Amino acid sequence: MWKRAASLLLARRSAVAAQRAPAISGSAASGLRRAPAFFSTLDVGQARTRVEDVMPIATGLEREEIEAELQGKKRFDMDAPVGPFGTKENPAIIQSYFDKRIVGCPGDEGEDEHDVVWFWLEKGKPHECPVCTQYFKLEVIGNGGNPDGHDDEDDHHHH
Amino acid sequence: MIESQRHSYHLVDPSPWPISGSLGALATTVGGVMYMHSFQGGATLLSLGLIFLLYTMFVWWRDVLRESTLEGHHTKAVQLGPRYGSILFIVSEVMLLFAFFWASSHSSLAPTVEIGGIWPPKGIGVLDPWEIPLLNTPILPSSGAAVTWAHHAILAGKEKRAVYALVATVSLALVSTGFQGMEYYQAPSTISDSIYGSTFFLATGFHGFHVIIGTLFLIVCGIRQYLGHLTKKHHVGFEAAAWYWHFVDVVRLFPFVSIYWWGGI
Repeated sequence: MWKRAASLLLARRSAVAAQRAPAISGSAASGLRRAPAFFSTLDVGQARTRVEDVMPIATGLEREEIEAELQGKKRFDMDAPVGPFGTKENPAIIQSYFDKRIVGCPGDEGEDEHDVVWFWLEKGKPHECPVCTQYFKLEVIGNGGNPDGHDDEDDHHHH
Repeated sequence: MIESQRHSYHLVDPSPWPISGSLGALATTVGGVMYMHSFQGGATLLSLGLIFLLYTMFVWWRDVLRESTLEGHHTKAVQLGPRYGSILFIVSEVMLLFAFFWASSHSSLAPTVEIGGIWPPKGIGVLDPWEIPLLNTPILPSSGAAVTWAHHAILAGKEKRAVYALVATVSLALVSTGFQGMEYYQAPSTISDSIYGSTFFLATGFHGFHVIIGTLFLIVCGIRQYLGHLTKKHHVGFEAAAWYWHFVDVVRLFPFVSIYWWGGI
């Protein structure tokens, strides 16, 4: 069990290292956070490809999660946004369902890494990291509005 | 918004059960104190509080089962919640029972002059540990073995066999509770007979109460297994019941060794 958990962790680590992240994002905008992957037990490589073969009674989100996993996809968008170092000409684009989102900047790769600095990234107000000058811009992909759920209009949309 | 939900958490709907459970608990404690101090209406308030509490437990857990099994809200990330919750709950239960054994050891290791400086106290009749207590001790671990059988059956997808194994588990549990009841009925002392009776019945009684809780938990699992709710990949409710049951069956060894045997001879 420990061996399995350790190898999972190692696999995750190297995966993270492979796609070194200039931007870590916080959870405020769409309430997203990372879930531990310790209990991921479906064997994707095998011939089983239908949810019915794995868990016949699964329904709703649980079913969608299993289905995506069987297809080697991710149903949920829980990972921190990553991409090349953002500059004024070519900013790091952070997607958000709302008009603002908490973002953390870890600096550039290797030597140029710094402690994560958190800030609110707002629509129409690009942010420059005071430590490493990385440049961020918010791209609203949802209905916009406030992430706190107390919008004047559109209140019924929040789930 | 379900189609576009990009996080794997379950944001629960408003529910009346937290407040109804709180009111039930309030009525139970106030009614319990009133009853034990012979206030008028104490028994009524206690009974109503308990009924309210039991009703809340039923409907609340019914809602959780609907949300998980029938609506599919319990994704992998969500399943971690009840897992950690169950483990922490069991840890707190271990501490509770530890306190009772501490109380028993505290009173018996250095018996005070008021009880004759001996343990069991002077004039207190005790049960022979080599009769029903010994007979009853292996029953719970056997039931723990049966619940492991059920677990393996679930993991192997043998649905009927898992039901049989749970019936065996629950049967052994009921036999154990039956013996405990018989033992209490024939016991030479009561809970008001000196510090011996107080510690003996507090520790064994609380353990017995936990056996009853675990039995109900396993009965619910058996019914859910029969209905096909538990699958190879997802049976958090059963796992929690099995952990709880192992806690209960292992803890049985402590009162037997320290209270019935060491403290009773």
